[in-house]
Amino acid sequence: MTFRTKLLVVTSLTVAGAVALVTGAVSVWTRRAFERIDGERRSALLDQFHRELDARGQEIVRQVERAAASAAVQQIVGGAAEYDRAQVEAEAESLDFLDVVQPDLTIISSAHWPARFGYKNDWQIVPEDWSATDAFLTRIPTPDGNASALIAVRPAPGGKGLVVGGKRLNPEFLKSLGLAPGMRALLGLPPGEVIDAQGAVVDVRKLSPLIDGQATQAVVGAEAFQSMRLTRHGRPMGVLLAGTSLRERTGLERAILWIGVVVGGSGIVIGVLLGWWTTERITRPVERLAAGARAVAQGDWSTRVEVASKDEIGELAQAFNRMTEQILEQRERALQAERVAAWRELARRLAHELKNPLFPLQITIENLQRARARSEAEFDEVFRESTTTLLAELANLKTIIGRFSDFAKMPAPEFETIDLNDVVRGVMKLYDARLHDGSGTIDPRIDLAAGELRIHADRDQLHRALGNLVLNAMDAMPGGGVLRVATARTESGARLSVADSGQGLTEEECGRLFTPYYTTKRYGTGLGLAIVQSVVSDHHGKISVASQPGSGATFTIDLPEAQN
Amino acid sequence: MKPTALRWIAAASALFSLASLEAARRPRYGGELRIETRGDGSTLIAGAVFESLVKFDAHGDPQPWLATSWTHDAARKRWIFAPRANVMMHNGAPWSPGAVEVPDDKPIDQILRELARNPITVRAEDGSTVGTGPFRVAHTEPGKSVTLAAHDGYWGGRPYLDSIQITTGRSLRDQAVDLEVGKADVVEIAPTQRRGNLYVSQPVELLALQFEDRVPAPTREAVALSIDRSAIYNVLLQKTGEISGALLPKWLTGYAFLFPAERNLARAKQLASGATLSFAYDHQDSLVRAIGERISVNASEAGITLRQAAGNADVKIIETQITSRDAWTSLEDLAAIFKMPLAGANLYESERALLADFKIVPLFHLPDARAMNGHVRNWPRLADVWIAP
Repeated sequence: MTFRTKLLVVTSLTVAGAVALVTGAVSVWTRRAFERIDGERRSALLDQFHRELDARGQEIVRQVERAAASAAVQQIVGGAAEYDRAQVEAEAESLDFLDVVQPDLTIISSAHWPARFGYKNDWQIVPEDWSATDAFLTRIPTPDGNASALIAVRPAPGGKGLVVGGKRLNPEFLKSLGLAPGMRALLGLPPGEVIDAQGAVVDVRKLSPLIDGQATQAVVGAEAFQSMRLTRHGRPMGVLLAGTSLRERTGLERAILWIGVVVGGSGIVIGVLLGWWTTERITRPVERLAAGARAVAQGDWSTRVEVASKDEIGELAQAFNRMTEQILEQRERALQAERVAAWRELARRLAHELKNPLFPLQITIENLQRARARSEAEFDEVFRESTTTLLAELANLKTIIGRFSDFAKMPAPEFETIDLNDVVRGVMKLYDARLHDGSGTIDPRIDLAAGELRIHADRDQLHRALGNLVLNAMDAMPGGGVLRVATARTESGARLSVADSGQGLTEEECGRLFTPYYTTKRYGTGLGLAIVQSVVSDHHGKISVASQPGSGATFTIDLPEAQN
Repeated sequence: MKPTALRWIAAASALFSLASLEAARRPRYGGELRIETRGDGSTLIAGAVFESLVKFDAHGDPQPWLATSWTHDAARKRWIFAPRANVMMHNGAPWSPGAVEVPDDKPIDQILRELARNPITVRAEDGSTVGTGPFRVAHTEPGKSVTLAAHDGYWGGRPYLDSIQITTGRSLRDQAVDLEVGKADVVEIAPTQRRGNLYVSQPVELLALQFEDRVPAPTREAVALSIDRSAIYNVLLQKTGEISGALLPKWLTGYAFLFPAERNLARAKQLASGATLSFAYDHQDSLVRAIGERISVNASEAGITLRQAAGNADVKIIETQITSRDAWTSLEDLAAIFKMPLAGANLYESERALLADFKIVPLFHLPDARAMNGHVRNWPRLADVWIAP
């Protein structure tokens, strides 16, 4: 991950995190505030609900008392009225339910279900002093099933029966509570009926914990409920439920969430843009520095980084520029020193090489001079031997000078597409006789890449370079050994390796091995590997050596593949 | 004033009062009788317009009517019915069929029942069907009313009324209102009503439950056994009519008590399978509605839910008239109404066969109750009805 990406991610996450934190805090605060307000509203509704129920109950008590004192009820209990006479009295008192029953609760006349005369009421009437009891909730059997009702009971005149009257607790009753928008009042009656202002609540299972008394508060769907239990003589008669819609709260929370998302998204976008702009300003100099470093690594020591800023990045760029300048200066100095050293080495080698044949020449000439002073016959013999020696040493000098001349006159390569394996086979064939001269001490092992290994090279120069390496290897194994010559395909071209099993090289020797005129051989000129390196360099290749003392040495040449 | 004169005045006043009283009792010709009914009035109209050769009297005995006598022929192969003389059809044509011969291939009782059931009619030139009864059809408004006019050439003498207007399809409530405001002279009322100028017949109306075939027999029996007829009779019917488990009333057969009508709730609970049946009855008739609601309560006690419905319900309360004074004829009529075949060696077995599978559950026999204004006399025989001033 780049620095710019990291910076963008950090900026975006910071913005998003901050927005999420603010959004969450606002949501929590809003929810708590709503919960508190809703709870107060529900409590107020329950209180109002209860007061209204009490007021209705008192009104029903008065209506039932009037009905009990009426002439119609007297006729009914006296057996002088029609079976449905209670209907008239119920209508007169605006009661939904009115039963005139015998003391044993057998119905004499029923207003809401006239056909039920003669049956006993099976609802919750316990013998007690009915003259002063309050109204209570119960369920009244009707032709259409049980109905929720608020009823009151009063004794009929003369103690001949009871008058039971009441009003239906229907949705109209709940509507009369004047509910605020978003609020709902429900009335639950055992064993499981629940009504609200719209009618019977169909699915009451979710409300059962409230109705059964297991909880006083609960959230059901998108509503929060609070319950108040109504009891009579310790028995549960019903449950008042006040509900407030959570839609408003949920909507607000959702709006806050959306605002948070929008603000967070916008913040992320702005953050990304700002981050991009910022990182652009920060990373561009860094990228220039990185590009400069890469150029230096590739050998372009003249690379300079242009940075106009005066901040830390600018200082870093200036330091980079100073560093490259200093490295360039040091390299130039090292090059000069190396040139001087090379000339010195050349002079030393040349002096050394020339001094060796000069000394015999001097001795031979001095012998000639001494022979001339002695006898003529001795002179002739010495002259003959001396001239032979002189010629031999002069030839030696000529050879030495010729080698130096060859190195100096290394021609430019003439590239062509050749098969490297062919070159290897040619070289090995050239030295085949020497490798198999009967001593049998060197075991040549050739491992060539399959097929043709086509490269773009000068065949003769490559032949010469490989020949030098093979000769060096053979020289490195005076006591015999294994010579391994191998070719292989690489990603960038071809690889040629020549390994011997000689005594190997030290690290220092490896470092200086390609320096011209450096040799580890007794009679070497130190130009062989220099020529090899020159050839490889002219072919845009790379040569390296790997060796451990006592483990032989391996020279590896990597060459680019042929260009189509 | 002299005592003698006072005596004369007193005597004259007494005579005048007696004369007025006598005039009020004496039938008076003229006037229109306005009758209202819930049904289509067909029974009433048929009785006033058409006549048959024989007619059953109040005791169910066949009596000569348009035929004055009947005897065997010499070979005793045929019955010869002698037609009444001077009988005129409503279109003015004389009815003179000569002797009416009927093959003697069945018992004479059956022959007489068939003759009593088939009125003498003639197709008039205008295409209408005319009879020989004391009234003729003068005007018809289908579904609304039928106007009958007096048949001046009636063989039994012109009826007192000039015309009768029969308004059909009127609810009991509307009829009561019309009687109250003077728009009707004779209306139907619930048999439990006890106010005004009433006519209450012997029990001639059958109130029964009729089940559809799709209702299982055990369920039908359970409903039948769950009904507390006594409570309905005592409270709702106020002891009017008769509790009955039979189709035909006691006065007609004498054996109606053989058909059980007692409640057996335990057995009903055993048979009931928690079924829910649709239940139809005339919701406009308060008495029938009350009976239906009570039956629902009774059935629910047995574990069967009767849910009020309209149209093709599983069970319905039916009301039908026993129109004939002959038991066989009435049973045949009922079988035809219930669309059930009549089988059995005698009347009792035939009736028991009809009731065997509880498709029909008789409940009560109720009287035909009518309320009239104070001017109507001699109801219910229309030929003898007259309107007092």
